Amino acid sequence: MSRSWSRTSVAIAGATAALAVLTACGGGDPAAAGDGGHVTITYWGWAKGTKQTVDAFNATHDDITVKYEEIPSGGAGGYAKIANAVKAGNAPDLVSIEYPSLPEFVSQGSLQDITQYVTDDLKKQLLPQAVELTTLGGKNWAVPFDAAPQTYYYRKDFFTQHKIEVPKTWDEFRTAAAAVKKADPKARIGTFFPDDPTTFEAMVWQAGARWFATEGDAWKVDTTDPATKKVTAYWQGLLDDGLVNSATSFSPAWTGALKSGDTVGYLGASWGAGALKGLVPDQSGKWAAAPMPTWDGKPAGGMLGGSTWAVTKDSHQAAAAVKFATWMSTSPDAIKARLSSGDSSAYPAAAALRPVAKKAFDTGFYGGQDLYGLFDGAAAAIKRDWAWGPTGGTTNTTLKDAFGKAADGNGTLADAVRSAQDATVRELRKRGLKVAGQ
Amino acid sequence: MSPKARAVTVLLTPFFVLFTVVMVVPIGYALWLSLFTEQQSGLGFGGTQTVFTGLGNYLTALGDHAFRDGFLVLIGYCALYIPLLLAGGLALALLLDSALARARRFFQLALFLPHAVPGIIAALIWVYLYTPQLSPVIGALKSGGLDFSFLSPGGALPAVVNIALWEWLGYNMVIFYAALQAIDRSVIEAATVDGAGAWRIATGIKIPLIRSSVVMVALFTVIGSLQLFTEPLIINQASSAALTSSWTPNMYAYAAAFTRNDYGLAAAASVLLALAAAVLSFAITRLSQRTPRSRTKGRTA
Repeated sequence: MSRSWSRTSVAIAGATAALAVLTACGGGDPAAAGDGGHVTITYWGWAKGTKQTVDAFNATHDDITVKYEEIPSGGAGGYAKIANAVKAGNAPDLVSIEYPSLPEFVSQGSLQDITQYVTDDLKKQLLPQAVELTTLGGKNWAVPFDAAPQTYYYRKDFFTQHKIEVPKTWDEFRTAAAAVKKADPKARIGTFFPDDPTTFEAMVWQAGARWFATEGDAWKVDTTDPATKKVTAYWQGLLDDGLVNSATSFSPAWTGALKSGDTVGYLGASWGAGALKGLVPDQSGKWAAAPMPTWDGKPAGGMLGGSTWAVTKDSHQAAAAVKFATWMSTSPDAIKARLSSGDSSAYPAAAALRPVAKKAFDTGFYGGQDLYGLFDGAAAAIKRDWAWGPTGGTTNTTLKDAFGKAADGNGTLADAVRSAQDATVRELRKRGLKVAGQ
Repeated sequence: MSPKARAVTVLLTPFFVLFTVVMVVPIGYALWLSLFTEQQSGLGFGGTQTVFTGLGNYLTALGDHAFRDGFLVLIGYCALYIPLLLAGGLALALLLDSALARARRFFQLALFLPHAVPGIIAALIWVYLYTPQLSPVIGALKSGGLDFSFLSPGGALPAVVNIALWEWLGYNMVIFYAALQAIDRSVIEAATVDGAGAWRIATGIKIPLIRSSVVMVALFTVIGSLQLFTEPLIINQASSAALTSSWTPNMYAYAAAFTRNDYGLAAAASVLLALAAAVLSFAITRLSQRTPRSRTKGRTA
């Protein structure tokens, strides 16, 4: 990569001079900038439809060639791979990072500040919540791609057959859960994922919790506030009464239960529509989506996952990488290519792309339902005050270990969030960061 | 340099080069890493600074009960696994070696075959067989009135031991069998003439004569057990209910480095584990050397 770059010289149409200065400062490599040059950037990601997106970019752009390498998804080892590559000095230029993990990568010094490329014009095109989550310490660290509002998927045929109302509030959800169990003793309305704390975090986000906040230059950690306690007690009740299944997300156990009809609902996010379609293709037409139940019946939501594109610390191609990232996030061609894969139902953070995405995603699996219209409402309802902390790895590993125990009846969800609080504060202190009010 | 010295140099150089590159240097690097920690300032968004912390990482690891519990898990694992492995391997080898055995080559190969399956694949296969909704085995057990969950905290240890046995029983059986084949047949004939039955020959003659093989297998298994990682990691990914992400010391180091980005702590935990392995190897080697020697002494006296 660097060889072809130094040989052919760097040039990005429209940003040549600025880039020449930047690369000279950042790299110290013999950089000769000139017009008509060509750069190659490398990109690591795993989101559905990425290959199609990259192919579409390369087919239409002469100045930048993107080399895409698929890596395992973040939690399944992708983040470890990125962190190691950055440490070893052979990281790609651009990487996929989900919102919850972004602060940790920034605090490890793995990423480049790309504030200068994230223009007001770009920000205006994107969902404000997504921009806020990628702005840390007043600087922009990533280009948001999708918004991932929470969404509830359910087996419409089952609900209709047994005359069960689709729940709008969490109270109704519990009633519906009991009705599902009564209608078919083997069936459950949904699944608690002990391995995936981000699903739980989206629930507490929706309930109004704020786990991470800053006070001056100190962190405020509060994973045991009243909103979290409410959600914890609610899910503990569902687990204790056997009203939901407990399984590892996307495991054979979970998909097996979906296939057999033992699980008739999925508390997920916008991207889950495509994933679900890929998992149980023979249940086409039987599923439908609904807004996530809320506490008071008024629209409210959190975000579950969602991808951003970030430039690694040592990349000399920041301008080209951000240009490609911006294209992926804002170009209609990009979203068309991505959704052509069939299993992506990404909800773009860029408002202008949503009609394009809506047209490109085949909702036959959901009986032709207007999914993107539903996502529009859910995205607008995403609460504004949530922030992720710089110790995502520690917080989530602690939660995962403790949720596993709780799902098996050893300990409770309340114990789990308490241990997450302790582990997070300990880790922040160990890193030399200030923790307020502890 | 004499021709002999030159030959020694030429023959040993490749070993020492490789040994240095893949053993000494990484260990040295781990020792170095273990003395540092990364510190941040402000809200932490300004990147990290590497700070010398002396033995701080070692104290953190030793003070963390998750790390200490990992060693308890290893002790439990060895206590369950090693007797089963030795008894099973010996029993199978003796059966193959006995006059009763038919189709020796077939059984040798069939029992050895699981060892050819990489540990990670074996773990994936077994996790499938442990998953209640999918497994025919769990289904059969359940219909037989036996409701045992391998993917629960109580079932995790048997689950991991079972995978390890499946992988290693045949391998160790082959070692025992080879040792049995090397026994001087006249000794066994003499015993037969003296009226010893098959059981008496096995326990009184064959096992004592292959004692060194048994000790060697036990030693290697204990040391190997300290490295326990792949199988529990796969089980953890399938069900975090069964075991935590830092169930064994190796998993603790892995989680520290790759989910918590704390390379110093990971290095310290690894060094502590290596120390434990070194001490244990030394103790077992001394123990296994001493016993036969004292016996020979007794015999000559």
